[in-house]
Amino acid sequence: MHIPENYLSPSTCGVGYLAIVPIWHAAIKHVSKEVPREKMPLIGIAAAFSFLSMMFNIPLPGGTTGHAVCGTLIAILFGPWSAVLAISIALAIQAFLFGDGGILSLGANCFNMAFVLPFVGYSIYKVIRDRIGGERGELIGAGVGSYLGLNAAALLTAIEFGIQPLLFTASDGTALYCPYPISVAVPAMMLGHLTVAGIAEAGFTVGILSFLHSAAPSFGIESHDATNTTPVLGLVLALIAATPLGLLATGDAWGEWATEDLAEMVGYAPAGLAEGWEWSSLMPDYTVGNLPEWIGYILSAVIGAALLVIIFRLVSGMARPSVDFDA
Amino acid sequence: MAEPRDIPDWLKTSEHYRPGTDRDGFVMRSLLSLTSVLAQLRDVSAQRTRLSPTPAVRLLWCLACVLLVSLARNYLFVAVVLAGLLVRVCLLPHKALVRVATGALAAASLAFVVSLPAVLIGQPRSAVTLATKSLTSVGMVLTVATTTPIGELTDALRAVGVPAQVILTFNLALNGIVRLGETALEVLQALRLRSVGVNHHKQASMGGIGGVVLLKAERAAQDTYDAMRCRGFDGTYRTDGARLGLKPVDALWVALLAALVSLFLFTQRMV
Repeated sequence: MHIPENYLSPSTCGVGYLAIVPIWHAAIKHVSKEVPREKMPLIGIAAAFSFLSMMFNIPLPGGTTGHAVCGTLIAILFGPWSAVLAISIALAIQAFLFGDGGILSLGANCFNMAFVLPFVGYSIYKVIRDRIGGERGELIGAGVGSYLGLNAAALLTAIEFGIQPLLFTASDGTALYCPYPISVAVPAMMLGHLTVAGIAEAGFTVGILSFLHSAAPSFGIESHDATNTTPVLGLVLALIAATPLGLLATGDAWGEWATEDLAEMVGYAPAGLAEGWEWSSLMPDYTVGNLPEWIGYILSAVIGAALLVIIFRLVSGMARPSVDFDA
Repeated sequence: MAEPRDIPDWLKTSEHYRPGTDRDGFVMRSLLSLTSVLAQLRDVSAQRTRLSPTPAVRLLWCLACVLLVSLARNYLFVAVVLAGLLVRVCLLPHKALVRVATGALAAASLAFVVSLPAVLIGQPRSAVTLATKSLTSVGMVLTVATTTPIGELTDALRAVGVPAQVILTFNLALNGIVRLGETALEVLQALRLRSVGVNHHKQASMGGIGGVVLLKAERAAQDTYDAMRCRGFDGTYRTDGARLGLKPVDALWVALLAALVSLFLFTQRMV
């Protein structure tokens, strides 16, 4: 679901940034008001969950791959605005360090995965939890919410891909950017996400949520107890160790092909893609040179997870203290 | 108890003295910079666990990593050291984390800006590699500096063959910086308190502050030398390994360092 560089036109990318910047601004305001300082590092750990879950590639029908995002999970634990910040930073790290998703398209990616996904997922979770009640309601709400949240984000991504050939074509009629129209992009993306990736997202969300309920019930914004992070860190380490499982799924995600592969599929290389700007990331596609991919995967997982924890620990120092000295 | 009528008239008149605004930026800046230096010397987040290496081994690790990261031609090695460093930094106390992160980021940004011409001529990877190497090296040095008391760090210098006289000078200088820094702080504070209203002679007092600190330094040096003589100092400084305080756990760290060097050699051959 990570839109790569040059698959969207620069103007679409600009619209993506225009849409997400006010959301980031609102998220910062909400988080600094609602999240106590001591809980901020925990958002970093939650962001690490999201980062790691995005590394688990799952084979989808049609020969492509997909992944979970865990956006609804973070929204349930720390509120949807915290999820916006956490997933945005995870996506930025993926784009800048690992070349997963473009830098120009980061705004659009954040809008889809860091805003639409957690907000849709969280709204549905809340409705179901309030209707059914209890832990059962919470888990069912989390499952349904995360499934629909991921699919809403996938639908939006497919529409963004699909409008490119309608709006941007060369003089000979060939597409400049993503060549697949909506009639192809939407079914292709949604087939995989409605059948497998959505279920994987729900599985990840419900699994991690029920683990946290039993092992670290104070992990989340609603609890005021000191959080015992040991089981949670244990889970992060287990996920890091298991990231090479993501390599079992062969093939690219839909819309994330290299330019040469795309040229082979459609018979020509769209001009905007062939001549577009591309960032030179440190470890492109989570690999290091010609080394076995699993080494690159584990290293990337460690670097990404540690960076997220560091960023949120630094942010917590800047946040206001939870003690109100005026009271 | 004195009756109200005993109060002299001049004491009963209300005064409306408003001191003129004076500029004391240089005093404040000197105070702040001195305080921050002293704070950095004193404020070390030394968290020791059973698996922590001794300062000598820590220093050895730090120097080896900086050297190997600079020499590395294979990006895998830099990525491995970076991953290890990030995990270590994650576990630092908040104050130390801020110091390490800001220092390392500043160094990496500078390296990136300096190598921007490489980006412009189509070699962005060189700039990114250089910035990552700077981030890793500076982060490593700052992590060791913020987690090891500076006195122990100078003692550890003998592990890398620094002559004993240099270490002695280092230790005396550090000791002197703390003690004279405190004196300078007191004198500056006194100057600030006494400068009520506009004090045009404040700038001239700086010479006096310097003089006072120098005199105190001279006296402190003499006192230190006398104390050392009284304790039997004969001009030679003990540099035997016993003072390094090596522990069994250090063997594990040295073995890990050997593994890191092997990884370095292995990755260099792959290029």
